[in-house]
Amino acid sequence: MAATVSREPGREERRPSPLVETHGLTKRYGSRITAVRELDLTVKRGEVYGFLGPNGAGKTTTLRMLLGLIRPTSGEARVLGEKPGSPAGLEKVGALVESPAFYPYLSGRDNLRVMARYSGAPRSRIGEVLDQVELSGRAKDKFKKYSLGMKQRLGVAAALLKDPELLILDEPTNGLDPKGMADMRGLIRRLGRGDRTVLLSSHLLGEVEQICDRIGVISKGSLVAEGSIAELRGRQGLLVRAEPVEEAARIAERLAGVEEVAVADGALRLRTNPDRAAEINAKLVSAGLRVSELRPAGQSLEEAFLELTGGETV
Amino acid sequence: MLASFRAELLKIRKRPATWVLALVWFVLLVLFGYVFTYSFAANPPDPPENQPAAVQQQQEALNEQLLNGLLPENLLENLFTNGTFNLGAAIVLILGAMAAGSEYGWGTLKTSLTQRPSRFGLLAGKALALAVFLVLFVALGLAAGALSSYGVALLEDAAVEWPPLEELAKAAGVGVLTLGVWGFLGFALAMLFRGTALAIGLGLAWALAVENTIALLPIDSDWWESFRRLTLGENTASLGSIFGDPNPAFGIPEPLVEPERAAITLGLYVAIFAALSLFLLLRRDVT
Ligand SMILES: Nc1ncnc2c1ncn2[C@@H]1O[C@H](COP(=O)(O)OP(=O)(O)OP(=O)(O)O)[C@@H](O)[C@H]1O
Ligand SMILES: [Mg+2]
Repeated sequence: MAATVSREPGREERRPSPLVETHGLTKRYGSRITAVRELDLTVKRGEVYGFLGPNGAGKTTTLRMLLGLIRPTSGEARVLGEKPGSPAGLEKVGALVESPAFYPYLSGRDNLRVMARYSGAPRSRIGEVLDQVELSGRAKDKFKKYSLGMKQRLGVAAALLKDPELLILDEPTNGLDPKGMADMRGLIRRLGRGDRTVLLSSHLLGEVEQICDRIGVISKGSLVAEGSIAELRGRQGLLVRAEPVEEAARIAERLAGVEEVAVADGALRLRTNPDRAAEINAKLVSAGLRVSELRPAGQSLEEAFLELTGGETV
Repeated sequence: MLASFRAELLKIRKRPATWVLALVWFVLLVLFGYVFTYSFAANPPDPPENQPAAVQQQQEALNEQLLNGLLPENLLENLFTNGTFNLGAAIVLILGAMAAGSEYGWGTLKTSLTQRPSRFGLLAGKALALAVFLVLFVALGLAAGALSSYGVALLEDAAVEWPPLEELAKAAGVGVLTLGVWGFLGFALAMLFRGTALAIGLGLAWALAVENTIALLPIDSDWWESFRRLTLGENTASLGSIFGDPNPAFGIPEPLVEPERAAITLGLYVAIFAALSLFLLLRRDVT
């Protein structure tokens, strides 16, 4: 399952090359741990891509490989057409990997000065990015005195210094309170507007559902699905409550266009187009069955996710 | 590399620990190089009543000699030949270890590397900035000695005569090699262990305990002596000896190594430590 439909196909046609592309990317630690296995990932220009997976799935490991911080055991990756981690490849990439890490004895602003020197960003960018993450008021305070939310925002600010085409954010809402999370998500959505591409990793389904155009699901190091939210939500169906249920099941099985029938909790679950509800209802009633409930019952994204990740909770 | 150098300068300059170390270095040098010796030589304990006159005279001559050694004209002997400058080994070992190791402790290496510098550029900038601060620490050490000896001259009403400029220039070189080798040892150890704690612990143990023990062990063989010629302490001591004969009161042994060879050895050590650090950074994953 590796559908590749973008919300804005027009944009891709103009710039066809994917921003991030990996082939068979694999990272092993020792002989026992395979953190990432044969990963084929494609992130297209302008999209907000959600990289979703439970704890320990290999998200951070993948992002580190995309940034050249760690070397893949095998496979290859291209970021903006360049080798990961090369100065040319990093020129237009901003990243916050795992927890935000800065010099505790320096102020927020001085930390950004250090980072701007490393990146070659002009000094004027420092004020701009501080404004963007709404940290200007506390820029003079030492990093060690920041709250987690402020640290997280400073991390995003540092990632924005180069005004990157590709922004890589690794679980940026981790550890934030609900308001902090909402603020961070709003910020990411704003940052993802226009031409900028965002690669956001998360273990929160609701989060990527809110923010992302397309999702890749990683589980135990492998990409198990990639596609838009609608595609991942997958096959739609109907829930039917009718008496007697065995009889109803037999009739339903013979109906054309019903792919699968399952009985659960005294109700039928039919995998079929929900638009056929009225027609199915008529068939059941005319066969003398009593229909008490009939409604569309799409697999929730959560169910789809659980199925994909083999039941691991997210 | 220049950008990384500037980033690193900002980090070291704004770090409180840097200035604490500078202060400790200054105070150590003044205390151990001057204050203790001076207070002993200028206020000798009262001799026992039945002490023979010959011993008494000998004592006074020794005190005279000690005081004389503290005057500005003997600045370089007191700082280098007597080994006072080696007190800085522990200080700059910590300075070097902090420059490299803290990045691992704080996880800032990944933040910096994702900004764009090449690993080579980042490390070269770091090493260069450390070198600049090591030179500053050498200057601070020389200044501490000069100030103290000037103070002694004032207290003793002695003439103030400084060593010739040429000797001072040599002293700067010897100081840079002495502190440089220890600073970069700390730097390389911190890269090796990816942190400051183990690097400082092992580095200090080596500097304070192991090297001294090696020098004192009564092993009489050629290979042991060739090994001893490789220790940092033997080489820095050899460089220090070029400024004059050690004061017999301090019981400093004859150097094993010729000064030219010592300068080359120490320079090579600095290069090896820097190269090892670079190799480790280039090769290893940053997690
Ligand atoms: N340096 C390392 N040495 C050994 N194993 C590692 C190392 N780094 C990661 N792993 C292992 O690789 C697997 C993937 O880890 P990774 O950090 O990529 O997961 P993740 O998806 O980011 O999880 P989380 O949501 O908890 O951040 C885990 O089993 C982890 O234990
Ligand atoms: Mg992670």
